[in-house]
Amino acid sequence: MTLQRVGVEVEEARVRSSRSRWRRLRPGDWAVRVGTVVVLLGIWQLYGPNLNRLILRPPSDIVAAFFELLRNGELQTAFAQSMKEFVGGFVIALVLGVAIGVASGRWRFVYNASDPIVSALYSVPSVALVPLIAVAFRSIGDAPRIATVALFAIFPILINTQQGVRNVDRQLLEVARAFNTSERKMWSDVIVPSAMPYVLAGVRLAIGRALIGMIIAEFFVGLVGLGYLIISYENVFRIDAMFVPVIVVAAMGVLLMGSIQWLEGRVAPWLKTDR
Amino acid sequence: MTVTDRIIVEGATKRYAAVTVFDRLDLAVRERETLCILGPSGCGKTTLLRAMHGLVSLDGGTIAIDGAKVASPRKNVAMVFQHFGLFPWKRVGENVAFGVENLGMARGEVAARVARYIELVGLKGFEDHYPYQLSGGMQQRAGLARALATEPDILLMDEPFGSLDAQTREILQDELLRIYAAQPRTMVFITHSIEEAIALGDRILVMTSRPARVRELIAIDIPRPRTVASVIAHPRFIELRDHCWRLLREQQVMV
Repeated sequence: MTLQRVGVEVEEARVRSSRSRWRRLRPGDWAVRVGTVVVLLGIWQLYGPNLNRLILRPPSDIVAAFFELLRNGELQTAFAQSMKEFVGGFVIALVLGVAIGVASGRWRFVYNASDPIVSALYSVPSVALVPLIAVAFRSIGDAPRIATVALFAIFPILINTQQGVRNVDRQLLEVARAFNTSERKMWSDVIVPSAMPYVLAGVRLAIGRALIGMIIAEFFVGLVGLGYLIISYENVFRIDAMFVPVIVVAAMGVLLMGSIQWLEGRVAPWLKTDR
Repeated sequence: MTVTDRIIVEGATKRYAAVTVFDRLDLAVRERETLCILGPSGCGKTTLLRAMHGLVSLDGGTIAIDGAKVASPRKNVAMVFQHFGLFPWKRVGENVAFGVENLGMARGEVAARVARYIELVGLKGFEDHYPYQLSGGMQQRAGLARALATEPDILLMDEPFGSLDAQTREILQDELLRIYAAQPRTMVFITHSIEEAIALGDRILVMTSRPARVRELIAIDIPRPRTVASVIAHPRFIELRDHCWRLLREQQVMV
């Protein structure tokens, strides 16, 4: 038995080393990452006095503006408003996307019924549909903006879920069948775990698109949220204050995608190996 | 002791479009014997095994287990796959439990059984590993444990060691002989390795290439308990191997 144990340990070491090569960041990597940001900000700050104040302001002005918007409460109000739209739209996209994705991945009829519509809507740049949404949902509060976020976010989730369900390993389905597995367990133990990484990858793509949808909706439909904050400060040439919501949206994106990536590692640890 | 036939294949025919995989095949698997099915690659051995478990339907003839026609997988029959068939998202313990869970036993009983069979195949201590963390040999030990844990009285083995390196394969062949010696059960073992068929089998069924027919049924008169080394050292081994070789060779010429 000792012979095999040695074999396994060697195998494990191989897996560990292949995993850490690029996937895990080393301290040195972090130094480079933080370093480039600091250097760029430093140059921007030092060169700041030479800039046309109407076009660009140094980072220190943006930081000051950040605290100014925080003090007068504008930032919190806009952020809460935008979050409401983002979360509302994203939840709708997630529920509908996964439901339609699963159904169309499983049943030919649903696939044939939904595919032409999905393909058509996905091919049209989502922005082009925003005016339609604005008209359709006019004067119903946040609805048009939530609908815009949902429209932007749904397709990557839907299409990835569909692919995930369709790409379930046939051999593993047969294994499950060979062990007399019930339909319910087939879903919970085979189809769902196998589709999960696809779904999460779709969710990760959807986050970026949902943020775009959120800002665009606030540009075009109603005068609220972080998007409106950007437009209104741009209109009065307060470039420093305009940058504050931009940075907040960027931070939202980075944080959300990071947490999904973390979740992927937790939900599908076997995918971290290079194969 | 009278010899009972557990699996009876009568006139089994399978076609895929224009290709006839096997044609009017007759064979019987006896109680507690290891029947090795040996044949050229692509001769339909695997399809036949899958049909024995009701995973593919026949185009003619019947397969019956204990007198009842096979239509879908049964609980007293378990299968081990060439591709291992482990679920990558399940740990070794969960993979081994997969079949047992479907038998409707209490949670505690399932856990006890899983632990027992993990120990039997030498995977104790690896319960919480994912398949990707194991070598091929260890993965197939888990595949074997999953099948054995359902305590089947018929074991269907689909070239289980076919994708392993020679050394690992021999170690696992010995393990299988040891497990068989401890608890003999009916086993159908598909292989394209003559040595493996002789080492493990009580009888070898040599198949022809497509459409597959039974070329010859050979009794392996090497006494148990066996190890791979003891079989190879046995005076009958060379004769049996040469005989099987000749039978397979004539297939190659026909192709």
